[in-house]
Amino acid sequence: MKGILEYSQGETVIHRLNPLSKMVIAFLLCLSSFANNNIYCTIGIIVVNLLMAYLAGIIDRAFSLLITLFKIGIVLFLLQVFFIRTGNTLLNLPFNLYITDTGLKFSIMLVLRLVGATMPLVIILTVTRMSDLTNVMVQKLHIPYKYTFAFITALRFIPIFENEMTGIIEAQTARGVEFDTKNPVKKLKLLLPLCVPLLISSVKRIEGSAISAELRGFNLRRKDSGYKTYRFIGLDYIAMLFSIMILLTCIIIL
Amino acid sequence: MIEFKDFSFKYKTGEKPALTIKNLSIPKGDFVGIIGNSGAGKSTFTYAVNGVIPHHYEGDFYGEVRVNGCDTVESSPTQLALSVGSVFQDIDGQMVSSVVEDEILFGLENFGVPKEEIDQRIKDILKMVGIEDLRYRNINTLSGGQKQKVAISAVVAMMPDILVLDEPTAELDPQSSLQIYNMLKMLNKTLNITIIVVEQKIMLLSEFSKRIIILDSGEIYLEGAPKEVLSDTSRLTDIGVNCPRVAALANNLNQLKIYNGPVPVNVMEAETMVRSVLG
Repeated sequence: MKGILEYSQGETVIHRLNPLSKMVIAFLLCLSSFANNNIYCTIGIIVVNLLMAYLAGIIDRAFSLLITLFKIGIVLFLLQVFFIRTGNTLLNLPFNLYITDTGLKFSIMLVLRLVGATMPLVIILTVTRMSDLTNVMVQKLHIPYKYTFAFITALRFIPIFENEMTGIIEAQTARGVEFDTKNPVKKLKLLLPLCVPLLISSVKRIEGSAISAELRGFNLRRKDSGYKTYRFIGLDYIAMLFSIMILLTCIIIL
Repeated sequence: MIEFKDFSFKYKTGEKPALTIKNLSIPKGDFVGIIGNSGAGKSTFTYAVNGVIPHHYEGDFYGEVRVNGCDTVESSPTQLALSVGSVFQDIDGQMVSSVVEDEILFGLENFGVPKEEIDQRIKDILKMVGIEDLRYRNINTLSGGQKQKVAISAVVAMMPDILVLDEPTAELDPQSSLQIYNMLKMLNKTLNITIIVVEQKIMLLSEFSKRIIILDSGEIYLEGAPKEVLSDTSRLTDIGVNCPRVAALANNLNQLKIYNGPVPVNVMEAETMVRSVLG
């Protein structure tokens, strides 16, 4: 699961799509999995997701995502299947628990929908550069650059702080703090006081980062400063049309 | 051209001035190395040039600092940034994007470089620094030396007159440190960029810089060409600055009245010296 949203470089058909149309496609696919009430149709959407991942050359990652999502799905499934008590009983279990046909169908749909709706966004974000996404938001959706910059910076600082935290933990382990304990509660108690040094060093770093951005003309930036332009090409229209058709099919089948 | 006149700066939280410079001027095309113990005012020196003080850190600012004739107090840091490029100590913190190309684009876009020119500029700078193959790489996957080169190219792409670097080799191995200095030397020579670099490794400064400024508790302790500054080992050790071994050797030989030539600043020159002493 590690690095699931990390950008995967490539020149595939999916990579070349406009970032905005990628987002629209992800949204439409997500919507499609909720718009229908047919198990086969939802499975179909998952297949479309996998196909998209295959085209983008990240099928391995898609499968690992699929497995993780199904693991979460099993927990949800078990919770749902015993709590829905309407419909005809299919299976009687001890402790006054039973599984009904309505419950079974609902739970399966829930899991499939969860998978079908989560996958498109993750796949799309894996093949889209964050900078392209924010640039297109500034240019086409007229979102102020300040916000997108803050967003990007926040994302960029996550691994930096992770490293810093590892550094602090290692330093303290070397001085005898028992971070390698198996007791999660104890570990959490040891970790909490570390938030203070981490916070202080992060505030310092962020200040430095802000100065550096300012000295490189951050304040001069205008909406049309971006060098890269993002035009829609034929491929974008085809892909979007395709996703709209999937959504319509789902609505018709219901 | 950078001029300090009766300059003094005390941070809001400090008790005494962090840096006091009575009179100093750095002509265009100079290569100045700044060295000194921690708390000697090295970073403050760089902040005074790029306008971070008084614009970012509050405190008492006396005297004046002029960069290409502009008073740093009256001009905004963004204005100053057009002539002064700054590379900070925290390599990761100063990056603004996750891809090398975007990192270089950031400054160019902001300062409104015409879009037709941008691609050529990126190509030129990457070629000059020797990292053409890194253009589309994710910055997280680069080594420390490569990141430092990216940080420097991102600043040099804006074509500043002056480049200010705060300990650019702090996290680098000797080989990469040497590469960075060779690159700075090349930028200094070919583009005539004034280089001001804070550095702890005196050997690098003695070999590459044209002038060394030694700071001690907020004041200029020694200043001059590397050969002059290094000719007095005892004054350097007094304030805890290490003297390069080749210079120390020359000074010892000098005291023993065996050698009275110029102080060598690198191993080659030291070899010549030793050969001449041995006859």
